Amino acid sequence: MAGDYVSPFDERVRQAESLAPRPVSLAGLRVTLLDIRKNRGAEFLDRIETLLQAAGATTARTGKEIFSKPAALSLIDQTTAVADAVVEALAD
Amino acid sequence: MTADELAAPELDVAGIAPEPVTIAGLTRGGCALLLFVSQECPTSALALRNLGPLCAGWQAAGLSCTAVFEDPLEIALRVARVSGWTGTVVSQPAPYQASQDYGLQSVPTAFLVDSAGRILRRVTGWDQPAMAELIETAAGRGAADLARPEARHPLRKPGCQSKAALDPEIAAAMAAASDTDELEEMFERGWTDGLPVIPPTTERVEAMLGRGFDGDASLGEVPPAMGEATLGRVAVCAVLAGCRPEYFPVVVAAARAALDPAFNLHGQAVTTQPAGQLIVVSGPVRHAIGLNSGMGALGPGNRANLTIGRALRLLVELTGGGMPGALDRSTLGHMGKVGFCVAEDEEVSPWEPLHVERGFGADQSVVTLIGCDAPLSISDHRSRTPEDLAWTLAWAAASQWSTNWWPLREPSVFVICPEHAAMFREHGWTKQRLREFMFESVHKPAGELRRGETTPQVHAADPGDEVPKWASPESIVLLVAGGEAGRYSAVLGPCTGMGFQIVSREVESRWPATT
Repeated sequence: MAGDYVSPFDERVRQAESLAPRPVSLAGLRVTLLDIRKNRGAEFLDRIETLLQAAGATTARTGKEIFSKPAALSLIDQTTAVADAVVEALAD
Repeated sequence: MTADELAAPELDVAGIAPEPVTIAGLTRGGCALLLFVSQECPTSALALRNLGPLCAGWQAAGLSCTAVFEDPLEIALRVARVSGWTGTVVSQPAPYQASQDYGLQSVPTAFLVDSAGRILRRVTGWDQPAMAELIETAAGRGAADLARPEARHPLRKPGCQSKAALDPEIAAAMAAASDTDELEEMFERGWTDGLPVIPPTTERVEAMLGRGFDGDASLGEVPPAMGEATLGRVAVCAVLAGCRPEYFPVVVAAARAALDPAFNLHGQAVTTQPAGQLIVVSGPVRHAIGLNSGMGALGPGNRANLTIGRALRLLVELTGGGMPGALDRSTLGHMGKVGFCVAEDEEVSPWEPLHVERGFGADQSVVTLIGCDAPLSISDHRSRTPEDLAWTLAWAAASQWSTNWWPLREPSVFVICPEHAAMFREHGWTKQRLREFMFESVHKPAGELRRGETTPQVHAADPGDEVPKWASPESIVLLVAGGEAGRYSAVLGPCTGMGFQIVSREVESRWPATT
């Protein structure tokens, strides 16, 4: 029976991306804070940014066009080119 | 655990690659991990989740990883994908010869096989310390750079009975039930939205596609999991939904519209909002395929309306992975997410239909997609002027999204019933006049809207500043549909925050083989 049906699924098997190594220290790290544009997300990032700077990290801010759409590839490329780590904030 | 030091039997299994799966092939680069599992077993799911993400690294270091399912291959692939298993997937049919050959009593059971084809270790059930030892053994056989499974709760969990170890009579009864009940098999495969579906046999799918069309042609990837919407898979979803083949061009047009990035299906598919996708069908195709735009136009009773809407939702849920409770995180959902397709009653409407308003010709058949919420019925049997009726309709929508969330930028869709439409026709109201009157009617001072959830615009305004419910008259979409008797119109709430545009696509009686 099994061979008689056509699957609605895309059965391609995708390789999972491995996690980047965890930074050993925040000191001197370039951290970009990504605002997804959810309500009050910037306030949360403000607090995180203060803590990161106190720990010796250099911070920068960027944002998505709108929270409900995936980040543009150009934004990802620009961000990864200048950052050692990224913090992305949800909110509401 | 001591080494079993037994010869590993050959695997009587099938995978997606045409080549046979052999122990020699699996151990070509060093050792091989075989993990016997089954779909129904929670401990199997635990093992797949815990080990699956590590497989990619293990395979790169020379330890091949293979999940051996006691299930059909389609089910095995889906379960593996959902579990994050990054190794190879193979399947064995009843009577589960591979499980019998390996002497399985329960699943999951893991085996470590070396390049000489000997079983070095065996782990039964989920046993993290034993799995860590198994990986340690593999590392000692040359694949040194192997991540160990994390020691997280639960460290141990008993497995489930292997299908190969079932009493033969019980196994036969289970197999017979599966073989004879196609509808139940669709549920087992996960090819459903929760309702029974029509099994997508090769014959039915080919009939849906029609002769000469390329089922491999792609319409694009379906969010959120970005499964590829080949015409063949769209046809499968149409079959599952119960469509007749003559509906298929409408389903394809709806799929094309949904996959336009401007529609932002990605956001709609994963949001905690109730958001569904309303399909509005305009033009001659409505009559050609028997869509209902009359009595009960938004409800049950008509195959074309119900199955076309359902086909698009199945495409999102199955091909796109947007299944409620999985990647679809909708807090409540609504019944329009089962399927939501309405046809305009252009013959009764006093106005140009939606597709003409959007630049198409009246003789074209067009599908228009709008992200929206469930309908709210608006009763008005007493208004005697178009002004009173328009005011009632507009204020019924004042609490949409949230009582004090003003203004709305995304569209509110008003479905005007024929008796209400007749009053606007009698008084010569155009669509634009009605839209502007409704827009002008609903506004409040900002000070009255500063309670609970509200907008930055309300906070920024002076308390006495009037704030409208809609950002512009264009946020009001007007359709005509419904039975000839009864003064009940409806408004469908907006899909706020999605930044989507309404998208229309012409229904093509013949569509190109490739895009």
